[in-house]
Amino acid sequence: MTPSHLASLILFAALVSLVFAMLMREDPRARVRFGLMSFAAFVASAIVAGWLMSPFPS
Amino acid sequence: MADTPTAAVVAARPASAVPACLLAWLLPGAGHLYLRRTGKGLIFLGAIGALFILGLAMDSRLQMAVGLDDILASLFSLAQMAIGLPYVIARMLGYEAGRVTSVTFEYGNTFTAVAGLLNILVVLDAYDVAVGRKA
Repeated sequence: MTPSHLASLILFAALVSLVFAMLMREDPRARVRFGLMSFAAFVASAIVAGWLMSPFPS
Repeated sequence: MADTPTAAVVAARPASAVPACLLAWLLPGAGHLYLRRTGKGLIFLGAIGALFILGLAMDSRLQMAVGLDDILASLFSLAQMAIGLPYVIARMLGYEAGRVTSVTFEYGNTFTAVAGLLNILVVLDAYDVAVGRKA
């Protein structure tokens, strides 16, 4: 199985955010909001970090 | 200490915390299923199980490097082992070596280690539910 970097990131962020939301919040609506915020934070921070590293050679 | 609310709850329900934590470690979500938190248990089983299986599918190595020679490798092994029975079963099925040359090798390692680390949080959550700190 060889998903792309972005697909791996999205899979990872979605599954970890789901577990975090179930652990950190009790109310269903708060869980959804927390999960979405966590997912967005994972994806956005990875994209920003990747963009910041892009000028440097591998 | 014995008269604090937490200690009182623990004393009142001593039997459920140990099996709940043990089951939660052996199989993600099993502790919550035992405590009749079916929805939570199934979500933990699905999400953490998926992380672990995806990690294996991405050619993760399941290390067994416990010792003081290489502390980081030991911590990594402990993180993977924290998922319990799936780790043992995967090793028995021959997934222990992984494939270092695979482009997804490091992703796979991350997925399997994070699955184990999340399971530690789930064990702690099962304990909190068992002693009445959480619903």
